[in-house]
Amino acid sequence: MTRRNIAILAAAALTGPVAAHHSILGKFDDAAALTLRGTVTHIDWRNPHAHIFMNVETSGTTLNWAIEIESPIELALSGWSDQTLLPGDAIVVDGWRARDGSRQAWGAEVVRADNGRRVYQLKDTAPPVPLAARPAPRWPDGSVALGAAPGTSGGYWRYPSMTSLVEDGVEVEISRAGLLADLDEADEVAPLQPWALALFRNRQSRHLRDDPLFLNCKPPGGPRQYQSNLGFQLIEDKASERVFVLLGSGNHNYRIIYLDGRDRVGQVTGDDDNPLYYGRSTGEWEGDTLVANTRSFNEDFWFTSSGLPHTNRLQLTERFTRTDLDTLEYQVTVDDPGAYTRPWTATWTLRWVGGRELPSHFCQNNRP
Amino acid sequence: MRARLLKFAGAIAALAVATWAVAQEGHPLKGSWIGVWDSNETHGDNVVVILDWNGEEITGMINPGTQNIEIDEASLDPETWTVRIEADAQTDDGDTISYVIEGVIEELELPSRSIIGTWRSDNGRGVFDIRRQ
Repeated sequence: MTRRNIAILAAAALTGPVAAHHSILGKFDDAAALTLRGTVTHIDWRNPHAHIFMNVETSGTTLNWAIEIESPIELALSGWSDQTLLPGDAIVVDGWRARDGSRQAWGAEVVRADNGRRVYQLKDTAPPVPLAARPAPRWPDGSVALGAAPGTSGGYWRYPSMTSLVEDGVEVEISRAGLLADLDEADEVAPLQPWALALFRNRQSRHLRDDPLFLNCKPPGGPRQYQSNLGFQLIEDKASERVFVLLGSGNHNYRIIYLDGRDRVGQVTGDDDNPLYYGRSTGEWEGDTLVANTRSFNEDFWFTSSGLPHTNRLQLTERFTRTDLDTLEYQVTVDDPGAYTRPWTATWTLRWVGGRELPSHFCQNNRP
Repeated sequence: MRARLLKFAGAIAALAVATWAVAQEGHPLKGSWIGVWDSNETHGDNVVVILDWNGEEITGMINPGTQNIEIDEASLDPETWTVRIEADAQTDDGDTISYVIEGVIEELELPSRSIIGTWRSDNGRGVFDIRRQ
């Protein structure tokens, strides 16, 4: 683990379990704090973010505000529901005003006025870290199991140690949503070509508000699928020599890594004229590491939350290593001569969430 | 024949206004662009530009399928998002004229971003305004 990764983990611990799936700063201005007092009129419990609608009395006029809060999946995991607040409940909201001046706000803190209790706050749902590493489970043939151990119930991978793509060894301060603390460090994140650096800076300067995952429900293709906040499941189909990657985020998409030696082109959905959000993947085992090679990506999505560009010349080499029962190391080498000056590598870890089902998220009804 | 081509290009331009652009999050110039090079008496007011990026250079064609004006050189200054295109074209009389197009990418964040600037050639000059489809 690099020093940078350690810094990211420390930053995550300090900021608590805030899990917005994209940069809320694209829509809300953290420099425009506001406090609203009023009564709940409606709870809209839908992805990607739930909303509280509330009436607020202002100078004798009643105005209705939309308060955006975390995703229903995250809130439900923390014990909240659409019945936590009901129409007529009095609340106080501290948050940030929408940049467009509309009556929308990010609900950083929602408190019941009758008893002063805070509601709809996220709890840390990550499983506890074992005191000692437990060995990775293995199949009867001795190979490492990337998913649930043979004979046990489900589980999946979540809680990535990095939530946006940064080249190994680079030290930059970047938020969980992918925003750089210092835009002048943009050229350090990856070896970008000049046009790609300028585009990356443009996206960062706009607080990532143009992210097509948020605006248009585009899938989190490429390495982004392993940095999404709802995790993923790896299911090994030994009989047909393939690994299914099921995603909790995005639109509950899946991809297949073929291990049967087939050629990538023409053997799976799509062809060279029909590039894909997740590309086409073949793989093989190198010891205890699954190595997947993927190409034929389209250019319709962001392959990382921070907005690093890619082109259809992108090829990924992904290395999945379950170092112990609770830890998956994911390493990706990005080779895209259309956007970068050389291949580069990023590495992070994920934590095993044993015995739980993969969350099922579908992007719907965005309110830009 | 030429009038028919102009009507066809006009119809494409009109259709384009009513449709959404295909997403493009890679190189911002890549794609099909439709618009006008105003007051171009040699090749008509309507223009279609196809641009591509191979990782090293911008390539493409102006009015493919009709006038087939190959782009000789194109560049993008990412500091200002200024685009420059140079192309030699044939007139109906068989003469060769050189076009220079300079413009700036507007609304970079949109799939339907535009390039607005000027064109000039041996035969004239005018406004250049195309939008990505």
